[in-house]
This record gives sequence, C-alpha cells and structure tokens, in this order.
Amino acid sequence: MAEIYRSRFRADPYGDKDAPPDSDYRIFIGPQHPWAEEPAHFIIHLKGERVVEADIRIGFNLRGLEKAMEARTWRQNTLLVPRACGICSAVHQNVYVRLVERLAGVENDISERARLIRMFSLEAERIHSHILWYGILAHDSGFDTLLHISWRDRETIMDIVEDISGNRVNPALMMIGGVKRDIPKEKIERTRPKIDHLIKQVEYHRKVFTEEASIRNRLENVGILTKEEAKKITPNGPTARGSGIPFDVRKSYPYELYDELDWKPIYYPEGDVLALTLVRIDETLESLYMLKQILDKLETAEGELLQRVKTKVPKGQYMTRAEAPRGEDIHFGMSNGSDKPERYKIRAPSLGNIDATLKRMDGEYIADVPVILRSYDPCFSCTNRIMIINKTTGEKKVMFQDEFAKRAIKAKKYNRAIF
Amino acid sequence: MSMKELVEILQTEIPEKLVDEIERVEGAPHFTIYVKVDKSRDLMKILHDNAGIYHLTTVTGLEIPDKEFRVIYHLQHRDEETEKEVPINVIITGIDINKPTSPTMSDIFVCAEYYEREIYDFYGIYFENHPFMERLILPENWPDDVRPMRKEYSWQDIKEITLSLAKKISED
Repeated sequence: MAEIYRSRFRADPYGDKDAPPDSDYRIFIGPQHPWAEEPAHFIIHLKGERVVEADIRIGFNLRGLEKAMEARTWRQNTLLVPRACGICSAVHQNVYVRLVERLAGVENDISERARLIRMFSLEAERIHSHILWYGILAHDSGFDTLLHISWRDRETIMDIVEDISGNRVNPALMMIGGVKRDIPKEKIERTRPKIDHLIKQVEYHRKVFTEEASIRNRLENVGILTKEEAKKITPNGPTARGSGIPFDVRKSYPYELYDELDWKPIYYPEGDVLALTLVRIDETLESLYMLKQILDKLETAEGELLQRVKTKVPKGQYMTRAEAPRGEDIHFGMSNGSDKPERYKIRAPSLGNIDATLKRMDGEYIADVPVILRSYDPCFSCTNRIMIINKTTGEKKVMFQDEFAKRAIKAKKYNRAIF
Repeated sequence: MSMKELVEILQTEIPEKLVDEIERVEGAPHFTIYVKVDKSRDLMKILHDNAGIYHLTTVTGLEIPDKEFRVIYHLQHRDEETEKEVPINVIITGIDINKPTSPTMSDIFVCAEYYEREIYDFYGIYFENHPFMERLILPENWPDDVRPMRKEYSWQDIKEITLSLAKKISED
C-alpha cells in the first residue's frame, strides 16, 4: 500500500495499466457477472490469497440523463429524474422538486401535509432499500436463511408503498408544488399494524446479525476503514457513518420537516462491515419509528396537497441535497428563465462510495471480497429495456424503450392492453 | 456582509484579493464563492488547510454559452460537535472557452480526481497537473472530439452518435 493514498478508477480492460508491481494474479469481476446485478468491472490484484489492490471500470450504463433533461421541460423532468436510480427513486425526485420550488420561489408555500407525505415516501424507501441490502449481504456471506426471512418481511413495506402510491418500487408521489396523492384516514389505519409487525421482524434480524456466530464472524473485523482514512477518501452516508463520521444530511442540513421529528442519527466507530450492517439495521428501525410519528402527525395536519407553479422558472441556480438510502444525494440546477433547465447535475451517492470500498479491500482475504464489495450497496441503474417471455411457448422478445413507448401510447389511445 | 459571516463560521481569514464575490443563499447557511481560475488553487488550499474542510461532495462543470466554462466545487464545512454542515459552493469562473484548462484540486481533495475526469469527459476541460487525465465514464469507442455536455451538441446529435456507434459494433 502506497503511503500517499491515490484514487482508483485507473484500470484498463486487461488490468495492465498502473498495476501494483508486487501482485502475482488478478481476478476480473464483470462487467456481466452472476454475482453482481449491475454492470461494473472490478479488477482485483492478488498476492497469494491476499488482495494487494482493487480497481474498477465504470460507465457501462451511461444513459445521458443530464443531457436528456436539458431537452425536456421542468415538468417533464419530474418523471425523468426518479429514473436516475432503480431503487431510490423517490429521493431523487424529492431533491429535484425542492430545487425547482426554490428556483420558482414557492418553497415556503408547500403545506405541512404535503411535506409529511413526501417524508413518508422517503422513509419507506429507505426501509425497503436497507432490508434488501442486508438480505443480499446475508446471502453473500453464505447465510441464505436470513436472505429469505428478511425478503419475506420486506414485502410488508412494499405492500405499504404500493398501498399509498400505487407502485411497488417507484412511488413517484412528488410533484413541483406538493404531492400527487393523499394518504386518507383508512390507509393510515391499515398501515399502523403493518409497521408494528415490521418493527418486530427487523428487531429479530438485528438479533441474528449480532448474536449468530456464523454470520458475525464473516463480518466482524473485515474490511476496516478507519475514521482518518474515511476523512481523506470522503465516502458518504452509511458507508461513512460505519467509520464514525457522524453526518446525516437529515440532521446536518435539515430539509422537509425532519427537524420536527424525534429521531437520532446512527453511527458506529468500528469501521468494519459489521458496523456498516448495524448502521443500516438501526437506521431501518429509526425510520420505522419515524413512519409512526409521521402517521400520527398526518391525522391532524392540513393544507393543500398541490400548489400551482408556473411552468417557466425564473433565472437562477441552486443546489439541494438529501440523505438517500446509500448516502448523500446532490443535485445542482441552473435555469435560464424558460421552461427548460440550462444545466442540471446529479451526483448519486454510490460514485462517492466506490473509492472507499475498494480501499477496504487492501490486504484482505479473497474470500472476503464479495462481502466488502457488497458493503456500499452497489447501484448502477440498469432499467433501460424489458424482456417479454411468452408463458406457453417460452418465446423471448426483448423490447426497447421506443417500441415500448409506442405500444403504450397506442394502448392508451384505443383503450386496450399493451401486450 | 456575507464575507464576515463566512469568516465567522470558518474561523479563518480569507484574503479579499482571492475572491470576486461571496453570496449567502437565503434560508439556512449556504454560501457561494466566486473565484477567478488563476486564484482558485490558493483559495481551495486555504479552505482545506486553514479552515479544515475535508468533504468534497462533487464537482460540476458548467458552460456559459459563447462566454466561458465554469467548474463548481461543492464543499461541506462540518462541525462534529453540533453535527451540522454548511455547504460552500466554490464557483471557478473565467475558464477560456477555446482552450479550457483549470488547475487540478486532486492533491488537496482525493475524490476530486475522478470527479474532474468526469468533467474532462463531458466538457473537455483539461485539469493541469492531474495525475491521470483520461476517460472515466464515456465508452471506449466514443469519438475523441465530441464532448457531449457542451451546448453545441443537441440531444438529437448525441442520440445519432450513440446509434451509429452501436451500429458499428453490431456490424463488426
């Protein structure tokens, strides 16, 4: 390990460039690999059974979202922005609508009720994302029972999300000026027992992670990133909080109504993968308690759900941030007075976390690599096509976006099914 | 006024000749500093070494059509006791539009290295003294002279280039 830390992302496809001189073997993972659901190319340089240095190539899923946004209106972009990520779509939409509201000068007009519904969506998303992650982590460490148990329980929160928004993964509740749908009283009543049930289940998951020796041994003292290193490499979100950096955007720079809720940010000083896991499990619990508070507040909170906002946004620039499930999500927008953005920049949290994760691998055993790689919750969004399989004949057909859109428009026009 | 507030938060002196303008964004504390490209390194050094700012969230590239390029460093000033952050956006102005170069900050902030490479990909702004100024995120067969985020390329142009690349690969 060199004394002065340098950033990764330097590999060529064969791993020759800038390879560490003392390594004697290299392992390639990706760009397509059964282990990883997302396309990234990891190159791991080994000396015997130990990792000397790991590197990565990214960019297999560049969709040009920022450029695409410049060609669309602010209002159309409300539905394009959540596509930045497959699983944490609500948080991208939230950051976006807050930015546009600020530029349009209506940020103080958003009602309390609308803000509470937004927060409900954001926290529900954090819960299902975290449960998904530690389920897969259990699978990677060879403890498949917990994968099945946690994913079974995850369905509870997915049902809640579906109930309030109509969609399982992409709730798309937020609009410029408020929210699309209300959470009526009967849904609040329906949701409460589900949340209580899930709290019990997540407490049980936590017990397994902390008390079950076979999984604890796989995670404890593995892939340590100290606080000093973390300050240098600057990961964000749970990846940093596992190393004792106590910053959570919800607390450090509050948005929506997070400063009115009673909750505490979670951080652990150990810096190993177990600390990261506990950060996420405790955060899940904390979010569940937050959901209960939000539901209590929703009983009495009033206000219009959607404000009128003009389509043309006045000239200006602004930056907004939010705590996504994976870390700090930042958007920067610039308007030129028309109805389209002049420039829009999105930085999703995973890009900032890759470097720190690769640093964790230095000197570790090759057997620990999958667990460490999983630790930052890899997310390179990959939802750009669908595959249709005919149930009876087994015939497969890949359909790209344009064709799918055409069919959808036709189906809407003639009021019939898409397929 | 905003200078005074910022100095109070950072608890370090910022030489006035370095900055063009400091704006305090309304609402929660959130500052924007405008600095000329030739003085940007000195300012960032002061912010990192004297004020103790270590967190760089990201770097944004920006084109002001027919005028200049800009690079924005989104920094966070962190106070561990109160667990509060003060965002500071350092906007580097006056980058030449015909031959865009800007000094690298990768030796000050480690993560600037790959964020700067992303801007090099998208805008073609060359960062001087950068240890590894190569393509980060664009495909390997992407034409060298096309900088997709520049205003001279419309969304339609980019779509055509992408399709022609895909066609070329499938023909090979």
